[in-house]
Amino acid sequence: MDDLQFRRSIYADPHSKDEKLEQAKAEDPKKKKFAQDIEQLDLKILEALKVPVPEDLSNKLILRQTLNSHQQQTKKKRVHLALAASVAFAFGLTINMMNFSSAYNNIGDYAFAHVAHEADHFSNTGEANVTLASLNKKMASFNGSFDTTMGELMFADYCRFDGMKSLHLVFKGTNNPVNVFVIPQSEHLEFNSDFSNNDLQGKTQRFKDANIIIVGDKSEQLKTWQQNIKQNVSWSI
Amino acid sequence: MIKKIFGNKKSSAQVSSNMATKQVRYEALVKGLHADLYRYAYWLCHEKQVAEDLVQETFLRAWRALDSLKDEKAAKSWLITILRRENARRFERKRFEMSEYEEATITDTQSLSSEQDIENHWLREKINSLPEEYREPLVLQVIGGFSGEEIANLLSLNKNTVMTRLFRARNQLKEALEKEPEARSTYNG
Repeated sequence: MDDLQFRRSIYADPHSKDEKLEQAKAEDPKKKKFAQDIEQLDLKILEALKVPVPEDLSNKLILRQTLNSHQQQTKKKRVHLALAASVAFAFGLTINMMNFSSAYNNIGDYAFAHVAHEADHFSNTGEANVTLASLNKKMASFNGSFDTTMGELMFADYCRFDGMKSLHLVFKGTNNPVNVFVIPQSEHLEFNSDFSNNDLQGKTQRFKDANIIIVGDKSEQLKTWQQNIKQNVSWSI
Repeated sequence: MIKKIFGNKKSSAQVSSNMATKQVRYEALVKGLHADLYRYAYWLCHEKQVAEDLVQETFLRAWRALDSLKDEKAAKSWLITILRRENARRFERKRFEMSEYEEATITDTQSLSSEQDIENHWLREKINSLPEEYREPLVLQVIGGFSGEEIANLLSLNKNTVMTRLFRARNQLKEALEKEPEARSTYNG
């Protein structure tokens, strides 16, 4: 190993355990001396590089981390809470939708369902004891009034018509009771003017503030009923 | 099904024991390596406060990524890599604040009590006036105890370049020291 190469290697790494370097040191006292000088230099460099480290640095590092991970944990807990709340909220919303969204798409379907549901309560032989005054009191909330009771009125009261406040009237019909619903203009039920199923038929007429639905059995002349209503109901502004 | 989902969850005792292990590992890293890391940072940025901030930021990141450190032997180079990245980021953030630092502000304000201190102080100035590219490998080798190959990896250089820089760094310091008597007298005078 030539001198220059030796010096370069020692300068680059004074503590190298390279065999060729060891051998060169053993063979040449000058090289050995040089290597020792550089080792001395390196000790000085090491001393100089060892700048004083702030005494409390390690404690600071540990403390800061502890605080930090504590904060993160609290944050995590908050995230979990928020997640749980969101899930609960979504769950509630779904239940709500299922309960209160209408299962019926149009007026006719719901009217039939309503009539069928209450069919047991009304018979054609019931007493017709509703007065015109009490009928009109109820009709007032739809801005309308009847001139007469249009026949034998057995029942008149507010009903929920697929979630909407409506007035449900039951008249004595030819064979079976005739149901009349006064409902507000509906947005979520499709309007249909004529509808029927196996037993029942129905008609709807649109008025200024309300729709009036008539449901009766197949033997009923609904057209006459509709005419009657048109003539008997007057709407206030 | 529900049991399957929730069954996967570790018991809280297990989690806290993992946390405790992590804490122990972290504290060991801090105690074992914070001094070397601080000194490396100091020689990188020349300012005590900045060096301390760098070390803090480095250990914070280290904590977050501690699970990715599989081999404790690699911890030092792992931390140094994080610190170098943090230092580079500092320059990205504060490019507009960069200015030539005054040589006088580099030196520490410790009182120079003994001959040894005076020599250290003098040599520190010399080390500081080395080009950055010579100084960094030297610090890594002397303080970090890394081999030429490891330094090459850390700095993304090839090994020959690293060895050449180490040679030049020591060579320049040696020459400076040989001129020391004159230098020292002007320094003291």
